[in-house]
Amino acid sequence: MIDYKSALDKVLLNVQKPSRYVGGEVGAVYKNVEPVRGESLLRFAFCFPDTYEIGMSHLGLKILYSLINSVPHYWCERVFMPADDMYEAMIENNIKLYGLESLEPIADFDFIGFTLQYELTYTNILAMLDLAGVPLLAKDRHYPIVIGGGPCACNPEPMAAFFDLFVIGEGEEVTLELLKLYEKFKARNAEKEEFLRAAANIKGVYVPSLYDVKYNDDKSVKEIVPIDSAPMPITKRIVEDLDKAYFPTNFVVPFCDIVHDRAVVEVLRGCFRGCRFCQAGFIYRPYREKTKETIVSQLSRLCDNTGYDEASLTSLSTSDYSDIEGLLSQICEYTNKNNIGLSLPSLRVDKFSSQVLEKIKSVRKSGLTFAPEAGTQRLRDVINKNVTEADLEKSCRIAFSGGYSSVKLYFMVGLPTETLEDIEGIITLIENVIEVYYDVGKTLQKAEKAKTKIRPVSVSVSLSTFVPKPFTPFEFEPQVSKEEFDARRRHLLSLLNNKKVRISWSDYDESFLEAVLARGDRRLSDVILRAYKLGCRADAWGEHFKPNLWEQAFADCGVEPQFYALRKREYDEIMPWAHLDMGLKKEFLIKENKRGLLNE
Amino acid sequence: MNNHQEFTDVRVFFSKTGIAKYISHLDLYRTVQRALKRAKLPVWETQGFNRHIYLTFALPLSLGTQGCRESMDMRLVSPLPFDEMSLRLNNALCNSIRILETATPIMKHTMIKKAEYKIADINIETFGEFLNSEKIEVEKKTKKKKTLIDLKPFIEGVKLNDTDITLTLPAGNDFNINPVLLIEGYKNFMSEKERALVAEGSLTRTRVLTADGEEFR
Repeated sequence: MIDYKSALDKVLLNVQKPSRYVGGEVGAVYKNVEPVRGESLLRFAFCFPDTYEIGMSHLGLKILYSLINSVPHYWCERVFMPADDMYEAMIENNIKLYGLESLEPIADFDFIGFTLQYELTYTNILAMLDLAGVPLLAKDRHYPIVIGGGPCACNPEPMAAFFDLFVIGEGEEVTLELLKLYEKFKARNAEKEEFLRAAANIKGVYVPSLYDVKYNDDKSVKEIVPIDSAPMPITKRIVEDLDKAYFPTNFVVPFCDIVHDRAVVEVLRGCFRGCRFCQAGFIYRPYREKTKETIVSQLSRLCDNTGYDEASLTSLSTSDYSDIEGLLSQICEYTNKNNIGLSLPSLRVDKFSSQVLEKIKSVRKSGLTFAPEAGTQRLRDVINKNVTEADLEKSCRIAFSGGYSSVKLYFMVGLPTETLEDIEGIITLIENVIEVYYDVGKTLQKAEKAKTKIRPVSVSVSLSTFVPKPFTPFEFEPQVSKEEFDARRRHLLSLLNNKKVRISWSDYDESFLEAVLARGDRRLSDVILRAYKLGCRADAWGEHFKPNLWEQAFADCGVEPQFYALRKREYDEIMPWAHLDMGLKKEFLIKENKRGLLNE
Repeated sequence: MNNHQEFTDVRVFFSKTGIAKYISHLDLYRTVQRALKRAKLPVWETQGFNRHIYLTFALPLSLGTQGCRESMDMRLVSPLPFDEMSLRLNNALCNSIRILETATPIMKHTMIKKAEYKIADINIETFGEFLNSEKIEVEKKTKKKKTLIDLKPFIEGVKLNDTDITLTLPAGNDFNINPVLLIEGYKNFMSEKERALVAEGSLTRTRVLTADGEEFR
């Protein structure tokens, strides 16, 4: 491998932040590739289809990396999407995509695993497979086995042609079961298909080639038929007891700066709030908490082992933890003693008593963020976002009194049943927040009899386009059209004349593609492949996104994207993901849909 | 808080080789800070609002250059045998950064005037010819402008070995010549054909020296 590494050596000094491409960080796991006691090493490439800085911030990667490496004869390595300069240098110098630990090409590994975090990373997956030098289509490939998991695997159909199997649900248990099974087949040099048929019997494993999809004349799905008595439906895996679930005691500590560079512990999984647009809120059910003792011990151990001076808690909604006060005061005992900063993204301040607020004063404030999502109470009821204007006002009052002078508000545009009145409601809400700020400021001024000027408030408003997602009560709903979206956007901007408010919009074309891929079927594999061949890559990296090339790819394949994104789907339509069981009955989703839209 | 804490200055000598040459100075600083935390060493922290471990490097190493014997200074707030300090820090660091020795600082950073470099992976003969040129003019970039500088008068102690070349260049806070400039000059000197054939050269700082050529301690 000497030549290969020296080729790498030649390019690394000509690219930005080369330490991202060589591994060797503290906490990185190294193993002997020579067989030990007759057991040969099973090699696993954990691929994150985005940059090192983003992938290294991802807790799922840290968990599975440590989990696989906890088995002595399994070696899991990290692989990320190289940034543009490195990507081009690798192609130019014929350097194949390699694992960061061994610096050896992943094409020779046993498994290549991708996490499907976001639809717009799909072309990166193809780019990485291509860079690795393995055939893109599963049917053209023998080994390595290419597997996928993560949130988008709840409807992996658009990526079905490229993957040998998907893991549906949580990976902590099923991953090792899968690797153990593979060892048996590897030992006797079995065909890939034989292994896949056996793997399909593991709960949570979905082998797309074992299912045949038939279509109606109107292009919707007619039937999904299992081949060779493959299981039907495929049921997602969950970890019953979070306290007993595998959690790493150490992280790889990067040399360079990454997005979230700190020790982090998951406090709970799932969410009981049931916001109807939120896919995570439904697919990660049921709601489970770790005990305080587990959280505190995991966090302190991580800080000790990594040397991080910043720690954080993560979950879909940390404020919902049943004894959040007790938890935070226990954590602060450790972090204050060890001079570790605790940062808590989007906590609900109104939940805390003043004693606890005092105790967590040292907590690094990551800025005040609220997500009312919709401008009027009517629409918030439709989407089941249980935040009232009074809640928002109360929280803002507490926060502004505590010294915050900037606030971030999140809204969605294009929600089902939305009218221009709801758009106007967004403006009213923003204005109310500003009013509350100056009201609090004046009260404080009076109380302190100070003549100090009130600092100007800054409000950032982020508007995203609603994307209907599978396994939510809104999976039947159309996305708003570009024309309609533009009309609503113009209306909002025409009403806004306050310089203290900064507005940012998500790109409609990106959201549209996301909507197509999120609820797409297998026929989209051709389109994704075509788009990649046309030069689409890193669609999530803003400047890379080329909607015209995607348009061409759809046209070349004779596929209408509007069919997937803009069409209202009937309750009795068979969804492309109908064979996957995420623990949610379709009747429940229909009932919730009606409750939201028809107030039934 | 006790602002008059007693402390002892220590100088830690280390090597930074292999893949560590890709770690930038800023990243090295952060990496050592975290290693000190992991090793739970009794090091002094600055007492300001944003508390952090006091740590300072004698002569930053540029990205891409390896270092045989670099040094960094810190302060101990309780006594600790130097050997134990080195051992514990080594255990907390990555393999490409190794602690060689912990000692009491003898010289001030300002005494650093020169550094010795080893240049490997080059054609020795061509490089020798290059060094014998009358002038070695290269572009030196400062924050605002580029200036042309002749390196020739600053190159000292050239030794052509079998597989590498050693030489000495001015170093330190007052006047510093980055050896990368020399490599750039060499690349310009080579014919296109040679450039395609010959490796680009790898740089190692072997010794940090005073004006008299004494090793920095």
